[in-house]
Amino acid sequence: MCGSCGFPAAPGHWTEAGAATPHERLRERFRRVQVLQKVLDQSGVTAHDGGVIPGIQVMSLSGGQTIVPDLEALWAEVKKLSGQVFDPLDL
Amino acid sequence: MNKRTENRLRLTVLGGFLGSGKTTWLRHQLHEKAFGRVHVIVNEAAEAPVDGVLLGAADQITLLAGVCACCDGQQQLETLLLGLCDDRSSISDPTVRLETIVLETSGLADPAEILSLIQNHPILVRQIVIAEIIVIVDALNAVEQIQNEVLSRKQIEAADRLILTKTDLSTEQDTACLGVTLRSIAPGAMQLAASFGSPLVLRPPAQDVQGVALVKLSDKESDPILASRLDLGAKADWTAFTVWLSALLYARGDQIVRIKGVVCTPAGRLLLQTVRKSVQSPEILPDLNCPLETDNTIAVIGRGFTQSQLAKSFAHFLA
Repeated sequence: MCGSCGFPAAPGHWTEAGAATPHERLRERFRRVQVLQKVLDQSGVTAHDGGVIPGIQVMSLSGGQTIVPDLEALWAEVKKLSGQVFDPLDL
Repeated sequence: MNKRTENRLRLTVLGGFLGSGKTTWLRHQLHEKAFGRVHVIVNEAAEAPVDGVLLGAADQITLLAGVCACCDGQQQLETLLLGLCDDRSSISDPTVRLETIVLETSGLADPAEILSLIQNHPILVRQIVIAEIIVIVDALNAVEQIQNEVLSRKQIEAADRLILTKTDLSTEQDTACLGVTLRSIAPGAMQLAASFGSPLVLRPPAQDVQGVALVKLSDKESDPILASRLDLGAKADWTAFTVWLSALLYARGDQIVRIKGVVCTPAGRLLLQTVRKSVQSPEILPDLNCPLETDNTIAVIGRGFTQSQLAKSFAHFLA
């Protein structure tokens, strides 16, 4: 269990399978949040990942803030914070 | 380079509706030793099992009777699989240890549920990779089952390989019609025929053969199922792709039947598969010096969207 986020150690999420080394993993996390910031632009939700603590930080314009463990949980959180499901086919 | 190779135990799920000929087919495959060092798990919903006796040819066989592995028997299946993984990991010699588990489901099981069970289990997901979902289709009764049973359709949607049995008892015309109907439900699945387990030649249906018009079994089935392809380009961006796909599955999971494809990543060639909302942890394929033509192209099978919509949507995720 991680002391800062409280998530139990879990096997890697399927979305994280593309990186084999710690270096690649970190780079992938930065890329991931870059892509998220781009597509979430209009939704009123922002994503942040400094690479220090595990998980992705999700913030709403009104100050709501959560840390989610993976992308699957992220989309559920985006729905909660913005009030609607983010549908990539609507972009 | 840190290239891992896949070391997980392979699980083949054998499904099909009641009486479609699963055990008959499997018995022949075991006789031919088609699966190598195999452990067979037979699940029967009935309390008085007969399949276990029929499958005497398997070296190792476990019977799971009286429950259905996809619903009320999940706990038993989980314990059984954990035991097999445990036994396997105590043997270090790769030439003798177990290679494959074949799970013959009961006729009332949904293969996708078994996939979810493994994906959501913290230990099994690291020990087992689903190699293939094979679904047996009874050529005599399938059309009627497809029209009346949601479950029968779900089984066919989940299949990688469809094996038509009893085609020798059905007319060529009916078989062709069934072939087209199956194609409309599972556009990505390979179709083969077998009689008592031995392969038969299945002629591709003529151009003008019409499939059976499918009756709506629930409100979600308004659109036809289409197979689309998404090209990720020669330098596939795994990160952008997973952000896009996880969002798509969250928003449209109930409309997506199946996704399958190989993506080249820094960690190797990854085989990605989903059955409905359940994503299998990607399997690392042997590294080839040159990527295959089919690499970095993802097949997306589902209803309610088109190929161009997918491509347009994915483009937004690329830098």
